[in-house]
Amino acid sequence: MGLKAPAKAAALITKGILRVMGRGATTMPGKVAIKLCPDIISKCARGKKIITVTGTNGKTTTTHMITSMLRTLGYEVITNVSGANLASGIATTFLCDKPSKGADPDKTVYVLETDEAAFARIAGDLQPKVCLVTNLFRDQLDRYGELTHTRDLIANGIDKTSAKIVLNADDSLVASMGKTRSERATYFGISLKTMIENNTLHPNKTILEASSDAAFCPDCKVRYKYNARSFGHLGDYECPSCGFATPSKRFELSYDASGNPSDEGFPFTMTDTVSGKACDMNLKIAGSHNLYNTCAAVSAVTRFLESEQGSEGGTDIIGQVCRAQDNVEAAFGRMEKIAVGSKYICILLVKNPVGLDRSLSFVAQSSDADSLMLVLNSNTADGKDVSWIWDVDFESKVNDLPSNIYVSGQRYGDMMLRVSYSGRTVDGYGTLEYATTLLKGALKDCPDGKCIYILPNYTAMLDLRGRLVKELKLKEFWKD
Amino acid sequence: MEKLIIGHFYPDLLNLYGDRGNVLALLRRATLRGIEVEVKRISIGDDVSNGDIDIGFIGGGQDSEQNIMADDMKNVKGEVIKQMIEDGVVFLTVCGGYQMLGQYYEEHGGNRIECLGALPHYTKGEKERFINDCIYEIELNGQKIKVAGFENHSGRTFLGEGEKPFMRVIRGHGNNGQDGTEGAVYKNTYGTYSHGSLLPKNPAITDMLLELALKRKYGEDYVLSELSTEVEDLARKQVLDYIEGGIRAAQ
Repeated sequence: MGLKAPAKAAALITKGILRVMGRGATTMPGKVAIKLCPDIISKCARGKKIITVTGTNGKTTTTHMITSMLRTLGYEVITNVSGANLASGIATTFLCDKPSKGADPDKTVYVLETDEAAFARIAGDLQPKVCLVTNLFRDQLDRYGELTHTRDLIANGIDKTSAKIVLNADDSLVASMGKTRSERATYFGISLKTMIENNTLHPNKTILEASSDAAFCPDCKVRYKYNARSFGHLGDYECPSCGFATPSKRFELSYDASGNPSDEGFPFTMTDTVSGKACDMNLKIAGSHNLYNTCAAVSAVTRFLESEQGSEGGTDIIGQVCRAQDNVEAAFGRMEKIAVGSKYICILLVKNPVGLDRSLSFVAQSSDADSLMLVLNSNTADGKDVSWIWDVDFESKVNDLPSNIYVSGQRYGDMMLRVSYSGRTVDGYGTLEYATTLLKGALKDCPDGKCIYILPNYTAMLDLRGRLVKELKLKEFWKD
Repeated sequence: MEKLIIGHFYPDLLNLYGDRGNVLALLRRATLRGIEVEVKRISIGDDVSNGDIDIGFIGGGQDSEQNIMADDMKNVKGEVIKQMIEDGVVFLTVCGGYQMLGQYYEEHGGNRIECLGALPHYTKGEKERFINDCIYEIELNGQKIKVAGFENHSGRTFLGEGEKPFMRVIRGHGNNGQDGTEGAVYKNTYGTYSHGSLLPKNPAITDMLLELALKRKYGEDYVLSELSTEVEDLARKQVLDYIEGGIRAAQ
């Protein structure tokens, strides 16, 4: 009714025009539709089953995991393309992506990666069934402002819905959102025992601690006491003043800390502490941070299915979800190894300090890493500020990084110096024009079966992909 | 030789925009010269006395975290910091840390926050935030050097009597966007708006601070040994080219 039909028509026409022009059409159709019909999102979302995924890190991977699991479980899933996570991208998804013919609307789910600030504005329009919040780390502070502000934005959004909320218990900022919303909050995280084992077996050996977020309780201004840490400010914490502490987790992930989460198929266990049911699983997308993403995805899907079936735990829903996780594959072009002859390259997008920290840690632990290439741009979409590379603790990982390190991008000078001050020298550097030359050289020297890990920020990744296709003659290996 | 002690103030609260890199730069360029260095973390709950440290570093933080440490800085460590500054301990302070050494900070709404009063400058908050890659000029040992920096602040700082600017603005806004000054110098204390981090790409400043601290420790005759600045210079040149000419020129 009203303006929905013309707005939708305009969106589809816009999409058609953009496609004909060879331009991506992931946000513009939605932008046009919102102009014509400002409440288009609420109109489109009405009656639909929606899961939102928000937080500063891991949104895309977790959304991808949830989508894959629900599909395995027989659901029709519509999801937004990575990056198109503002109102315009979400409107585009509603208007331009259709469930397949004959799909049962009752078995159709919209899994929407949602930017933190956008979430506050559109959560009320979306009325999701489940809101997942992955974590809150510093991320382009000049654009988003303070972390507690981001937390409040998300909380405001949540309050405009009656959704079940699935929160990372190990992140004090995220978990604090459950304080006054306990009846609809479910927590997930790594088991304390695993964290303690990990801290004992792998003590931090840095010469200078990384810049930390959320070290203090924002309410009491008192430093949290940590019993154990996983990474960054994630861990088992307690405020000595108000007593706010890591909430007890319903979904708890544990693993053998002597193992290596950078290995494909790394074994771990998911436990539903309510039913006591434990599932042995294998990590489908490697990296210790993906343990959190998997845990988040399993928790969100389980909560969604429970609300669908009107149960509150105690059934074997989690068992089905954990089995569905077995079919998850790395998202196209992300964390996926691309064969170049008998060697590999792997691109890990890094956008903020914790992302770079986790990716460096992943590469340091990867047994097949031959070279590392860091690519740093400073366009508007990346944030003009590249100073965050100094917040990252390279120092503790540097001796385990591959023997060859290359730097590129508009700000290769900054990155070269960052590597140098960590105690390593770079083996080659230059702007993006020179990146494929560097890569060709690295590939030539790379032993068969080994991998060159490339860590670009956002626009550096877009630029580099194009060059890999044009200059290295790779097939288009990504799908947005 | 005794260890050179760097006191990193409030590292778990004031740690924005790569300020950690300044401590790393001091640490690297000292240890590469064979000077043993210890970094002391001095935050809320940690004691510090005059004589404990050779170089102090105070960075900038998010508002909520600056509010957490402001009480401690004024009421607990304030007098010691003032004494150290008066006695000529070397300090580098950035953004919030620099503002807090001054007389007061007047928020955009008019609310006046009293600061430490160790240095005579004062700061007024404005709506518009200066976020830019910057170029400054500094004169060191009679030589004018271009400095690459990055600013991100909404405060406008005005220098007081007896205070000299640390640098001159070539590109960017510096203290207030009006008078071409950037930062402040008082005795051996330096304040700046430059994040970025400032020191890694500008080793002449790193070495100046190290030498000041070591002369203070071992006497005026102490001479800092030569150390290559090749990588730093290459990085600075690339970044200056990028800032001055945009992407095209840097290629």
